[in-house]
Amino acid sequence: MPVGVTDLSAEIFSLHMTIFWICVVIGLVVFGVMFYSLFKFRRSQGAKSAHFHENTTVEVIWTAVPLLILVGMAVPATATLQKMYDASDAELDVMITGQQWRWRYEYLGEDVAFNSNMSTPRAQIAGEEERGEHYLLEVDEPLVLPINRKVRFLLTADDVIHSWWVPDFAVKQDTIPGFINENWVRINEPGIYRGQCAELCGMDHGFMPIVVHAMEEDDFDDWLAERKEAAEAEAMGVDREWEMAELMERGEQVYGSICASCHQADGGGSPPAFPALAGNQELIDDVDWHTDVVLNGVSGTAMPAFRSNLNPVELAAVVTYSRNAWGNDTGDAVQPAEIVELLE
Amino acid sequence: MWGVIKSVLAAFFGVQKERQRQHDFEHGKPGVFILVGLLMGVVFVVMIAALAIYLAG
Repeated sequence: MPVGVTDLSAEIFSLHMTIFWICVVIGLVVFGVMFYSLFKFRRSQGAKSAHFHENTTVEVIWTAVPLLILVGMAVPATATLQKMYDASDAELDVMITGQQWRWRYEYLGEDVAFNSNMSTPRAQIAGEEERGEHYLLEVDEPLVLPINRKVRFLLTADDVIHSWWVPDFAVKQDTIPGFINENWVRINEPGIYRGQCAELCGMDHGFMPIVVHAMEEDDFDDWLAERKEAAEAEAMGVDREWEMAELMERGEQVYGSICASCHQADGGGSPPAFPALAGNQELIDDVDWHTDVVLNGVSGTAMPAFRSNLNPVELAAVVTYSRNAWGNDTGDAVQPAEIVELLE
Repeated sequence: MWGVIKSVLAAFFGVQKERQRQHDFEHGKPGVFILVGLLMGVVFVVMIAALAIYLAG
């Protein structure tokens, strides 16, 4: 258990150590008395056992002392719990959504949202490459947070229960479909903090790490402004006609971060659960069906709906990419504007 | 009546004198102890709830 980088995590740590030492002292006293008695009053030394039935005074003492110890531990623990539950007066709200198998972060009221996928190459997992320094604990886009500001997390999930856990913040919060849980953090030191999903959520449960990049407040404001601008620029791009090459480039990037974990980078999939896209006749023949699957998912299968997780440009690009990569060569370029119409 | 309440309180705490226990088993009616026990259980819960509400403020 780390001391962590928030006031609250330090408080939880010291609470943990206090209770640990109380347990150590109790253990020493109880076992000390027991072993001393076993040794001192052994039969070979002529000890005779006493026969008596009750001793009200002793019984009252051994009932009252544990009661006082428990209450003594409960008082500071409750005070800390109250602080943990008080998510009021936050300066920044971040919505965290667990998905099989990635995290989505949304800066509420700022129009900035992105998915955070594990970036450890599959070859390292398969043992074909040397493992990197942050094996299984690295992502393509970390959550960026300011230090010295109270940040409220609103946590939920799209599919099954996940749990957002960053030990340095002493935050481990279940994310449950249909519920919104609250938690908060005020980070004291800039740095990179890593965590993992802490609720078994399926095949790639171990492959959806959390990375938080905590920045100085000014740096964070610059970062957020930059991301807002980029989001606005992309929103503007919805209306114009996109070139095939542009769509393919963007699509390859989106495919790599979103689709490849199931359908594989080469489009080969892993049938039967995750069908191949390369050479998939149904996909090649019917662009409308293909677009519908990406937007709305396929009920009863592992294919989720991406209509609210990706923006129109990303959706158009990824459909275009998978219609033209790996020898699919349909020549179809799906435009963001067409996706916007479908989303309405 | 006071004797019954004292016995129930001792039971809450979990310690009772052997002499008192025998006295209760010979003299009291079981129904009275059960009823007083239930009522005092309710009183205890209400007290804890009131304390919590007062402290939460």
